[in-house]
Formats: sequence, C-alpha cells, structure tokens
Amino acid sequence: MDSNLIEVKNLKKYYNSRIGPVKAVDNVNLEIKKGETFGIVGESGCGKTTLMKSILQLIKPTSGEIIFEEIDICQIDKKELRRLRKIMGFVSQDPHASLNPRMTVFDTLSRPLKIHKITRSKEDTIIKIVTLLKEMGLQTEHLIRFPHELSGGQKQRIGIARALAVHPEIIFLDEPTSALDVSVQTKILKLLEKAKKDFDLTYFYISHNINLIKVISDRIGVMYLGKIVEIGRTDIIYNNPKHPYTKGLFKSIPNPDPDKKIEKIYLKGEVPSPVNTPTGCNFRRRCDHASKICEEEEPELKKLDDGREVACHLY
Amino acid sequence: MEELLRISELKLNFNTEEGLVEALDGVNLSIKKGFFNGLIGETGCGKSITGLSILKLLDNNAIIEKGEILYNNKNLLGFSEKRMQKEIRGNEIAMIFQDAGSSLNPVFTVQKQLEEAVKMYRKASKKEYREIVIEELKKVSLPDVESLLKKYPHQLSGGMKQRVMIAMMLACKPALLIADEPTTALDVSVQAQFIQVLKNLKERFNMTFLYITHDLAVVNEICDFVSVMYAGRIVEDVSVRELFKNPLHPYTIKLVNSVLTAETRIEDLEEIPGSVPRLINPPKGCRFHPRCDEAMEICQEKIPELIEVNNNHFVACHNRLRGDDFGQ
Repeated sequence: MDSNLIEVKNLKKYYNSRIGPVKAVDNVNLEIKKGETFGIVGESGCGKTTLMKSILQLIKPTSGEIIFEEIDICQIDKKELRRLRKIMGFVSQDPHASLNPRMTVFDTLSRPLKIHKITRSKEDTIIKIVTLLKEMGLQTEHLIRFPHELSGGQKQRIGIARALAVHPEIIFLDEPTSALDVSVQTKILKLLEKAKKDFDLTYFYISHNINLIKVISDRIGVMYLGKIVEIGRTDIIYNNPKHPYTKGLFKSIPNPDPDKKIEKIYLKGEVPSPVNTPTGCNFRRRCDHASKICEEEEPELKKLDDGREVACHLY
Repeated sequence: MEELLRISELKLNFNTEEGLVEALDGVNLSIKKGFFNGLIGETGCGKSITGLSILKLLDNNAIIEKGEILYNNKNLLGFSEKRMQKEIRGNEIAMIFQDAGSSLNPVFTVQKQLEEAVKMYRKASKKEYREIVIEELKKVSLPDVESLLKKYPHQLSGGMKQRVMIAMMLACKPALLIADEPTTALDVSVQAQFIQVLKNLKERFNMTFLYITHDLAVVNEICDFVSVMYAGRIVEDVSVRELFKNPLHPYTIKLVNSVLTAETRIEDLEEIPGSVPRLINPPKGCRFHPRCDEAMEICQEKIPELIEVNNNHFVACHNRLRGDDFGQ
C-alpha cells in the first residue's frame, strides 16, 4: 500500500490564448500509492481533467515530471508509450462519446485485446469478453448491440470493461457516474469496488461530487484553479478541513439529512478565470481570512502534524 | 393548505416512429400555494414533461389522452394556444430550464432581454422599464447591476445567467414558477448561492415553486413537499421530512438509500435490480413490479392508486394498502 506507483513532480500545463497563458495545471505535486484510490475533487474548470490527461500523456504537459517505474514518462517514445497504455486504463465521463457508434460491443471490447496481444485466438477473445461482460452484470446478448441500443449505465459498464480487458495496474476514472442516475451510480460504484479487489487495482478518480469522492477514496487532493490546495487522507481532511476553500466547498454540499442542520459557509463570488490569476494566493479574493501576505506571496503546500498538506498562509 | 394548481389523471402519449410512448400515465399532482413543491425522479420518468404540459409547451407528437390541469378553477388543457400565451405563460406561470445559456438570446444585452419581458406585460416609460429591470436584478442578489445591464450572455457565468433568467421571470410577477433542474449545470458552491436566492424569494414574495430535480439532497435543502415519479406515474406524495425518515414506496426507499452522504459506505448501498422500463409497452399493473422485491400477483395486473395512508402521505403500492405496515 505504501510504495508509490506514480509520482507527479512540478507538473504544469499552460495553454496559450490571445489574452495570456491559461494555467490549467500549475505546479502540481502528488503521489499515487499502489493499491489505493486517490481522489481529486474540485469545481468545473479547476484543471482536474487536464491533470488526469497530462498524467496519461494524452496531453503533453508544458513542464514537470511523471515518474513511473523509475522513469519519467514524459520523455519516453511511442513504442514505450503503447506499453503504458496497457498498464494505465482510462474511463471517460461521457459513456456515449467514448464508444464508437459503428462498433458493436464485441468489436469495442476485442480491439484492445488484439492491439495489446492479450488473447491469441478468436476463441480466447470470445471467452475473455464473455467473462468480462458477466463481471459487469451484462449478458452475452449485449455483444451484438451497438452503443445506441444500450442505456447510459450499460454504456459506462462497457467503458469500464474495455479498460479492464487489458489487465491494467491503474485505472484513471474521469467522473464515470456524473452522467448517470443515482440508482445506476450505485451499480457502477459497487462494480468498481469489486473490480478493484478482484484485480488488485489502483484508482485515480476525479469528480466534482464531494460525497462520492469521500465514499470511494483513501486519499484526496482538493484542486482550485490549477493548484492543489489541500492533500491528505480522506478521513482527516473531511473531519477537519483546513484550507478556507476546502471548508467552503464542503459546506456547500447539499445536505440529504433533514435532522442535521449544517451551518452554511457561502463561498463569495465564483471561480475566477485561469488567465491572469491573482498574484499571491489564487483564492484570496474569495477568502475571508485574506491578509497582506496572501497578496504578495504564493502559499506552498506545508505538511501539518496529522500528515496532510495545506497551501495556506494561515498554517 | 391552499392548492394553487392541480393535475388530475393526466395521461399523455408520444407518437414516435417506434410506437406509442406512454410518457405520463394518470399523473396526479397538487401544487400547494406558498411552498416549494418538489418533483423528483430519474431520467426519463416524465418529470420534465409534467412541467412542460402545465404550460402546454409540448411537441406536436404529444397526444393528451385525458386528464385535467386546474388553475384558478380553469382547465388549462382546454385553453387555445393564443389564450395560453396571453393569459398564462409568463404572467401567471413561468418556467426556467436547466441550461440558462440557451434560454437567453446571445445577441442581446441583459437589459434588452429583460426589458422585452417586462414590456409584454406592463406599460411604462423607457426610464421606468430600466428601473424595473434593475429592481428585479437586485432581488436575485446580483452584484454590480449597472454594469451587468450592458453585458451579453457569453460574458456571464452559469450561475449569473441562471439568476438573470429568474429576474426575467420575476419581472412578469408569476404566481407559480416551474424550475426544471435549475442547478444541475452549476458547481456546488454556486448551487448553494443559487438555492439561497430561491429561498429568499419564497420568503419575501411568498412565491410558489414547482421544483423539478433528480437530486435528493437539493430536495432536502429547498423543498417542503415532494412527489416521487417513476415511469410516468406518481408513486409517492409526501413531506420532505417523511420522505427521508419514512419512505413507503419500495422505489422511494431504494432511491433514498442510494443518496451518498459523507458517512455512506459502498457496502451499505442498495442496488435497484434491472433498469427503468421503456415506455413503449411498459409493464402492466404497477410499473415498478419487475424490479420490486415485494411484488405480489396483484402488482402485475392492477395499477395501484395513489392513496393517503398517513396524514398528507400518499403512496401508490398494493403492499402498503394492506394496512399492516403503515408508518413504521
């Protein structure tokens, strides 16, 4: 559990725009430990998807290192990258857009098996795919279906099956349930939990749904405007969030318990544009505790006694 | 409690290439005056169609088989298109949608769009129009209203657009506001602000809302009463407190159990077997029976009626009507 599978060091991804550089991911440092579920939570536009895609090398990062098996995977060639694609799976947010509309479920699932030479014969492929479908709670009759003949939950299960087909070590999940109904979400969560145990997987899970991240992750990172503002064990951060943004974010979650009265802390304003971000601390204009130092100096992640790290001048 | 609007036995089909879609099958809904009335259910259960049919904003292939929508003792279903437009839409009943961006016209400024809405229902001078617009924008807690007036929709964030839409509705002083998933596209922090704006409106102006959503946590934050929909029928009608504390319909129970809280553990979550039925040839009898653990023979044949089992707690389930397990 404690050895690092992936280490992200000083990762940056800037985009050029007419009005200046967009700092989508700005100096992110994190480790994904073997066997854990690492969750990233943040609001839309905070850079969580860009971070995930940069780690996966689906987007070339501007600078920084991503260490996997002691090498920096930002520097490797195409052939090596193909090997990584087998080790690092990916499930996207939109189950419909991630499936080819002209391919049947069988074609979709057999392709990665062929590309990575997992199965040797057609019989092997069929056996493998039927087993996978069963694990996903789908039947053989679904094999000849096209994506438009499946429901959203079924499509997402095909997406997960495709990621699992090539025996990855880690799966990157980009809000896999955000397009689905709650009852379907339950199914997907249970399925992911079971797959994790059965195949000894590591998950990197991003979502804007804070309760969901709490339920599924061992450790979390809270992202705001391209930066990680708080990172550590899920229970520690949940029970006592330290960063003013984390506090406000957690208090904004709608509360589903009529007996529990939650004192609301409203975050002022909205997330500013990632172009021309404020000097010093990104969050200071929405922060009640902002002082002079927040204007001048950018806070760095500091380790607290309980092991979490916070980027705030208050600590 | 006074009833502002009542839908009774509304049956609505859609004529499609694949066949007749039985989208609404005898919907009964009462909207109580001065309250937040929630309408919840999963994708495709007919909650948006219910909202749209109140305003008769349905596609041409929709066929209303039977039913009534009573508003001020008048059946809206009998109104002509012209009469709906003149007497009901906007000034009596208004609606806001999930995607505020596409509800606003991209080539007009905020001021122009709001003034246009005001002009439809009130006569005033140019200066007065501007003042009315500013006043309405202030009601929804928008900052820096003066500069906002000159802005175009693309210059606003999602939360601001949604508030501008609300301001536009308010300008016409409707008695009932139908909100169809207004916060689904917003971030949690913006959603929390927006919910606060709606709550203020209810308190200050005693407005009535029909709040359509799939998010049960939001329902708890904002609604007073809730109707739970499943596959085109209302299965339970209950106060918000009872919805969470004492849900009775097997579907509602499962739905409430699948809400994630910070304390949830994945092991405790309960799955609902199967999936939502297609509404072309839907299951006979109770539409939930193929997925229900408690289904009996009668459930396959007879449609359960929505019956009051407790004070203001209505449920449509054959099991709950036997009388042995009420309210425990």
